[in-house]
Amino acid sequence: MNEVLLSQEVIVYLLSESLLFGLLFVAFIITPLLIKRWNFDAFTQEQFRLENRSYLVMSIVFFVMALKILLLPYFVYTIDQLSDIVPGAMCGAGIIKANGYGNPLLLLKIIILFLSGFWMTLNRLDLEAKAYPYTKRKLWFFLFIFMLLSIEFALDILYFTHIQTTNPVTCCSVIFGQMGGSNALFLGLDTPMLLLLFYLLFVLLVLMLWSKNSLGIIVTSLLFLFVAYYSVVYFYGTYIYELPTHKCPFCMLQQEYYFIGYLVWGLLLVGVFMSLDYAISRWLWKRDALRLRNFALWALSLFVLLCSLFVVVYYSKNGVLL
Amino acid sequence: MHNNAFFHFLSLLLFKQKNKHIGAIFISVIIIFLLSSVLFISSSLQKSLQATLQNQPDFTISRLQAGRAVDTPTEWIEKIVQIDGVSAVTPRVYGRYFFAPNENSFLIVGVDFFDEQSNRSLQELMETTDLKSFFAMPSMLVGEGVQKFMSAHYYSDSFSFKLPNGSFKKVAIAQQLPSSTNLIANDMIVMPLELAKEIFAMEEESITDIALNVPNDAEWDTIVGKLHLLFYDAQVIDKREISKAYKSLYNYKGGLFLILYLITIITFMLILYQRYSMVYSAEKKEIGILRAIGWSIQDILKLKFYETLVIVISSFILGVVLAYIFVFIFDAPLLQEIFLGGENLANSVVFVPTIEFGILGSLFLFFALPFFASVLIPVWKIAVTPPKEAML
Repeated sequence: MNEVLLSQEVIVYLLSESLLFGLLFVAFIITPLLIKRWNFDAFTQEQFRLENRSYLVMSIVFFVMALKILLLPYFVYTIDQLSDIVPGAMCGAGIIKANGYGNPLLLLKIIILFLSGFWMTLNRLDLEAKAYPYTKRKLWFFLFIFMLLSIEFALDILYFTHIQTTNPVTCCSVIFGQMGGSNALFLGLDTPMLLLLFYLLFVLLVLMLWSKNSLGIIVTSLLFLFVAYYSVVYFYGTYIYELPTHKCPFCMLQQEYYFIGYLVWGLLLVGVFMSLDYAISRWLWKRDALRLRNFALWALSLFVLLCSLFVVVYYSKNGVLL
Repeated sequence: MHNNAFFHFLSLLLFKQKNKHIGAIFISVIIIFLLSSVLFISSSLQKSLQATLQNQPDFTISRLQAGRAVDTPTEWIEKIVQIDGVSAVTPRVYGRYFFAPNENSFLIVGVDFFDEQSNRSLQELMETTDLKSFFAMPSMLVGEGVQKFMSAHYYSDSFSFKLPNGSFKKVAIAQQLPSSTNLIANDMIVMPLELAKEIFAMEEESITDIALNVPNDAEWDTIVGKLHLLFYDAQVIDKREISKAYKSLYNYKGGLFLILYLITIITFMLILYQRYSMVYSAEKKEIGILRAIGWSIQDILKLKFYETLVIVISSFILGVVLAYIFVFIFDAPLLQEIFLGGENLANSVVFVPTIEFGILGSLFLFFALPFFASVLIPVWKIAVTPPKEAML
C-alpha cells in the first residue's frame, strides 16, 4: 500500500486536480467547434448558441484558474506535510527531489499560472469590447494552456504515485549546501556580486515600469525572478533561518518560521507576474493598465523591503552579519 | 452596476428565497461536520501523542534472538554507560499481566526509583511521590483505566498478583498516574524493578530493555552506530522512528476515512447538480426579467457565483463550529472509539483543542471545490437564458 496516497493532503489535492481537469475537459470538448464556426457578424441561431457556449468555456476557465492560484500554495504545503512520512526529508526540498517528476511539475505549475493570468487579462479585454474581438485568439490560447494542463495532470499523478516511503531522500542542506567548496551560484558569482545584481535589477525594473518600456519590463522581470530566487535561497534565507549554513527555499514555508516563505515567494511571483502582464497587455493589446503597474511596483518593493528587513533586523539584534 | 446595490440585491434574494437553499445547506453542514470531527480528533490525538513522546527516553535497546526480543543482560548497562554523550541509562522491566487468561491485561513497568529516569514525566512523578511510605511495603502507581478496573473488582487499595509459581503477591496502590497521560498510560502500572521481576519471575541478571537519553540531537546517529558495534544482537529503537510510526498510523486512519468519504462527496455532487438544475430552471422567468432590464450574462454569472459563495462559506463555518463543539467540548462521544479502540481497558481521553490551518484549508478545498464544480454548469445554463423568457 502506498502511504503517500493515503495522506489527507494528497487525497484532497488529487481530488481537486481531477475535478478541475474534468471541468476543463468539458471546456476543451466544445472549444474546437467554437473556433471553427465563430463569426461575430453572423446573425444566426448558431452564432447565438456559440456565444452562450463561449460563456461556459469562460466560466470554467475562470473558475479553474482562480482555484489553481489557491492550489499552488496548497501543493507546496502538501509536499511539506509529506516530509513527515518520508524518511530523511526535513522539508519540501527532499520530497520534490524524491523522483524526477517533482521539479518539472513545480516549474510547470508556475508557468501555467502565469499563462492563465495572461488569459484572464485577455478575457477581460475581450468582454469589455462589445464585439468580442479576441475570442478566437483567446480560445486558441486556451487550447495551448489545456495542453500544458494535461501534461501537468499526468505529472501530478506520476509524481505522487512514485514517491517511496522506504527509500530515504536527501535533506535540503545536501541539495542546496555547498559541498566540497564548489560554488552553487551561476556564472561563478559570489554573494556580494549577487546582491549587487539583485538590487541593480530591482532598480532597473522599477525604472522600466516607470518608463513603460514593454520589452524592457519583460526581460528585466524574468532576469529579476531568476536572480531573486538565488538571492533568497543563498543569502536572505540564511537570515530568515538565522543560520549561515541553512540554504533552502522550502524550510521557510514551515511553522517554525511563521510560514513567512509563503509571503516571500508569493510577493515575488505576484510582482513579477503583474509586471509581465502589464508589459504584455501594453505591447500586444495596446492597453495601459496603470493599476496593474502600480500593484506590480508595490509587490516588488514589498518583496525587496521584506528581504532586506531580515538582514537589518538580524544586524540590529546581533551586531554582526552572517 | 454599483456594487452596493448589487450586494443589497444579492442579500435580499438570499433571504427571500431561503427555502431553495436550505436543503443544500443542511446536507453540506452534515458532511462538513462529520469530516471535520474526524480530522479534528485525528490531529488532536497526534498532537497529544507527540507531546507525550517528547518525555519518552530517546533510545531503547533490547536483545534479539532469532528475531524475537528476549531478556537483556544487565551487564550491557555498564558498557553503555561508557559511551560518551549518553545520559540517564535506565534498566526497564515491563510486560503484560493478564487478569485472567485471554482477558483484560495491564502493562507493568518496573523502574529503579533511586536512579535518574530517562522518562521525563516519570522523573517528575517520582519527585512528587512520598518514597518513604511507597517503600514501606510493596506498592505501585496505576493508570486511570487500571484504577477503575481494580475498584470495579473490589481491589480498592491493593491488588494480589498471581505469580507463575502459583503463589500470590499483594501490592498496595499508592497513587494514580496523572490522567493527562491517559493516551499511553491508561492500562499502565509503575512499580519498583525488583517487584516487577518477581511478578514476571524473571532471572536476577536480566531485564527487558535499557532506556537511555542522548541530550545532543546531532550525536544520535553516531550513538546508534556505536551501540550496534558494541552488541551485535541488539535492537535499537529511537524516538524518531516511533514518532514517524505514530504519524503514519494516524495518517493512515485519517486517509482511509477520507478515501471512503470520496464516495459521499461524489454522491453529494450529483445531488447538488440535480437540485440546482431544478432550482434554477424554476428561476427562468426571473433571470429573463433581469436580462431584459439590461443585465449581461456576465452579471448573472456574478450574481449566481456570489450566491453560491455565501452558501458555501456559511455552511462551512457552521459545520466546522459544530464539529469543534462536538469534539473539544463534548469529547466526541462514539467517534472516539474509532481512534482509541476499547478492546482492553476502557479509555477516556480529553481532546486538547488544536486547530491547524492546514486542516481547515484541506477541508475547505475538499468541500468547496466539488460544490462549485457541480453547480457551475447549472449556473451557466440559467445565465444564458434569453430575455424573451420573461415574456412567457
